[in-house]
Parts: sequence; C-alpha cells; structure tokens
Amino acid sequence: MSTELWARTIEDLAPDIRAGRVSPVALTESVLDRIKQHDGTLLSYIHLAEDALKSAQEAEREIRDDRWRGPLHGIPVGIKDNYTTGDMPTRAGTEVPGFSFPREDANAVARLRAAGAILTGKTRMHEFAWGTVTPPTRNPWDVGRVVGGSSGGTGAAVMAGLCTAGMGSDTGGSIRIPASLCGTVGLKGTFGRASRAGVVPHTWSLDVAGPLTRSVADSALMLNVLAGFDPADPSCQDRPVPDYTEALGQAVQGLRVGVCRNHFFGRNQVEVENAVEEAIRDLAAQGMTVHEFKIPNLEYGLGAIFAVELASSTAYHDVSLRDGKTRHFEPDVRSLVELGRFVTGVDYLKGEQLRRVLMADFRKAFEEVDVIVAPTTALTAWAHDAKTLEIAGEQESVLAASWRLTYPFNLTGLPAISMPCGFDRDGLPVGLQIAAKPFDEAMVLRVAHAYERTHDWAARRPQL
Amino acid sequence: MTDSSKKPPLDPYKDILGVDFTPERLDENLHAFVDILKEIQKLRELDLTDVHPAVIFDPTDGYDGTKS
Repeated sequence: MSTELWARTIEDLAPDIRAGRVSPVALTESVLDRIKQHDGTLLSYIHLAEDALKSAQEAEREIRDDRWRGPLHGIPVGIKDNYTTGDMPTRAGTEVPGFSFPREDANAVARLRAAGAILTGKTRMHEFAWGTVTPPTRNPWDVGRVVGGSSGGTGAAVMAGLCTAGMGSDTGGSIRIPASLCGTVGLKGTFGRASRAGVVPHTWSLDVAGPLTRSVADSALMLNVLAGFDPADPSCQDRPVPDYTEALGQAVQGLRVGVCRNHFFGRNQVEVENAVEEAIRDLAAQGMTVHEFKIPNLEYGLGAIFAVELASSTAYHDVSLRDGKTRHFEPDVRSLVELGRFVTGVDYLKGEQLRRVLMADFRKAFEEVDVIVAPTTALTAWAHDAKTLEIAGEQESVLAASWRLTYPFNLTGLPAISMPCGFDRDGLPVGLQIAAKPFDEAMVLRVAHAYERTHDWAARRPQL
Repeated sequence: MTDSSKKPPLDPYKDILGVDFTPERLDENLHAFVDILKEIQKLRELDLTDVHPAVIFDPTDGYDGTKS
C-alpha cells in the first residue's frame, strides 16, 4: 500500500484518521498539492473550494475532541458540477451566460458534509451531462485520450489522486463510463435509492446520483452516506438502508452469475471482451455458477433511451431553446437538445413502454441469476478528436458506442457498478460491469468485492 | 364545409413541432437525426398496446406535506 496520503482509500484512511495517526489537514494538503501539480494538465476541476483546508482543520479538531462522525470524516471529496453547492458556484458544465442555479447544497452534498467529508471543489462534466467525453479533461492513463462522461472530471480526479472519492451522476452511463475509461470504481444505485434533489436534471426518469471511488469498499462507505429517503426528490423511495459494508468479504460460492450473450457480447474491442470473459472465469473459480441467457428486446433499447433522453432533455431546455441560449452550447450538445424536438410524444411513451418490457425481461433473468456481468464499455479510452469509433469492424458514433452497454441498466433502473478488470495493450483500463436486482446494491458490492480482492487492478496508478 | 384555400399554409416544423430553426440548421439537424431515427423507427414498429408505460405518478403527491 502506498504511503502517499493522496493515493490511499477511504477504507484504509478512516481508521488512521479516527485514531489520530493521519491528520485530515495533512491529507487535504496532500490532495491540494496533487491538484496544483497535475490539474494544469488533467483539467479535472472547474472550481476549487476555498475553504478545504479550513474544513480539514475543523474536522481534525472534532476528531481530536472525540466527535468522529464516521468513515468519511476528514476525507477529500470532489463534487460534479451539476450538484448545487451553497459555498461554490454551479455551472452544470456550461459556460453559456444566463443560467443560474441555487446557492444551496444538493441533498447528497449536505449528506457528505454532515458525514464530515472535505469538499475539494467542483469537477468538470460534459455540458449539461449530455455526452460521454467531458472536454477538455484528459485521461490520467494517457492524456491524449478522453476520460468518458459525463462525470469525466470526477473520474480523472479520483484516479489521479486529486480527491479520495467523488460524486457523479448517471443517466445513461455517466458514472460507469468514466469509471471504466479511468480505471476507477463507479456505482449507480437503483433508481430511487439516493436523492437527486439539487442535481441539475438531465432526464427525470433516469438520473441517478452516485459515487466514483478507488475501491469497492469505498463505494460501500459512500453509499452508506448517500442512500436514504428524501421527500424533495419525487423518485426517492422510503426503504431501509442496510450497512453496505456488511456485504464486503462475504463468500460468493454458490451464487449465480448471469451472462447476457446478446447485446453485451460479440461487438466489443477484442481486449475488452477477453478481459471480461477472464473475469467471468475468475468468478466461476470462486464457486459461482455461470448461466447464459439472451434478452432479444434489447434490440429496441437504443431507440427507447434516445426517445426518453432527447424528449426529457429538450423539455428541460425548452425555454433556453426558444430564447436562443442553446445556440451557444457546444455543437454536440446543441444538436442533441435541438433534436429532441423531432421526437414525438408517441415515441417518448413507446420508449417508456419498452422500459416496462425490459424490466420484465430482466426480472425473469434474475429468477435464474443473482448478478449479471458484462463489459462496461465496448472499448477502452479513445482519442480526443474521434467522432466515430470502429468496433469489431463496424463504425459507431462516439455516443452510441460508449453507452451501449450501460443504458440497459438505466432503462430498467437496476443497480450496477463498474470496476477495473484489466488493461489493454496501450495500458488503458478495461471496465467490468456487475448488476443486480432492484435495491440489491449489497449483492453488487459483494460480488464486486470478491472479484477485486483477488486482483491488483484497483491498486494500479497511472504515471503522471 | 370550410374553404381551406383561404387558410394560411402551415409549416409542419415550425407550426406543428415548434421547431424554429433556419433552413440550413433544420437541414443539418435532420441529417444528424437520421441515425437516431433508425433506432426510433424500430420502436415505432413494435406493438406495445397492452404495456403500461414506466411513468411515475402519485395522486397523493403533496397532500401529506412530504412531497413537492
């Protein structure tokens, strides 16, 4: 384990912070130095908190006075720029003037503060979360490659040690895609598990708030704080919140791993497919039984997610579209917001109907399996200037290629994690995706942790 | 019967869809929409008559003072 404070995980740091062996001030200074040293290249933050050190000093005082709040106390956390914050500006990734967001903490931010986390700043995102690239942020593994998106700034910052953990949001894959491309762990909980109140909306029926971390255990620790009912979010469900760390370290022998052979396999970069097949064999070697199945209706999924996201995003931006502000959006985002006008009400509702069909298909699959395993992205991080990508001999748009394997779990609302499962020949991380039944994040974490502890992928760091 | 020849012509984009783009921008967007449309066309051809859409609706919303 590295002794550098910025490189350590929450799980590793928390006992030392509680016992006074690690100072939250020293940890925050280590992270801030790291930002100073590398963020000029990586461009992962859009705004740095002015009071991070002051907050760390306060945390240190509290802990010294025997007022330890929990494992996040004194931990530096980066916040995606679409979470509103009382003490920092929110831009949702846009530089277009005329947008203003409340100067108050989003529910997730308030929960993190209450848990004693030190907010380091606001991380960059694809404008209004409508894309999977996050310009101009650069990938810590290769600065000529993209970080994914839309939570790309958080992905880069977490991997490079510019925060210990960070927040993202996921509408069609925006937590898991940057996690996959940057080599971090990214957890999208069940739709309704955590509050989105105070998160600038993209698609009301799909958006999920969740963490990016450097280990599965850290995801569990973050979810322990983030999960729970919030009446301010109409989608948020009032269900018991277990201690997700109890899922860690449990044996997976006898559990059933599902592999959906259509849609998720057969159209991926060879090294991605090989790494995930190897991961499935590794899980089987731990005593999990492998069950293969197909969900033919996934053929209609791309049409459904496009109809739902385009219609919803354009509804959100309707006033801006009519008053001309969207003309100043980045060209890709401007196009998507304008294209939403071509989606009919019938298309939108058929998209929502298709979701119900897919939910039933996955529910049936889960009668036979405990988790579903797949690649997170069909390919590793691509070059910044790519507009289309060639995968298995076929050309695909960047958006279609990058979210093909993640959006099924948004359409169905199921919990899903991305974690590293290898590296390609260029040294770029490959993402493994694990999904489970609704509100069974514990199962996702249990299997993910079982895989993680038998590999050293999560411990690897890019040379910056 | 009404005399339709006296009615001003309707622009299907501007008047029906509310799309108020310049002709060049409209053309650009229509071309950009082609690939997405291919996927939505598949959805349009599906018979989902008996499937309730996955929409969230709670008529008690706000009555108990807990939701807004």
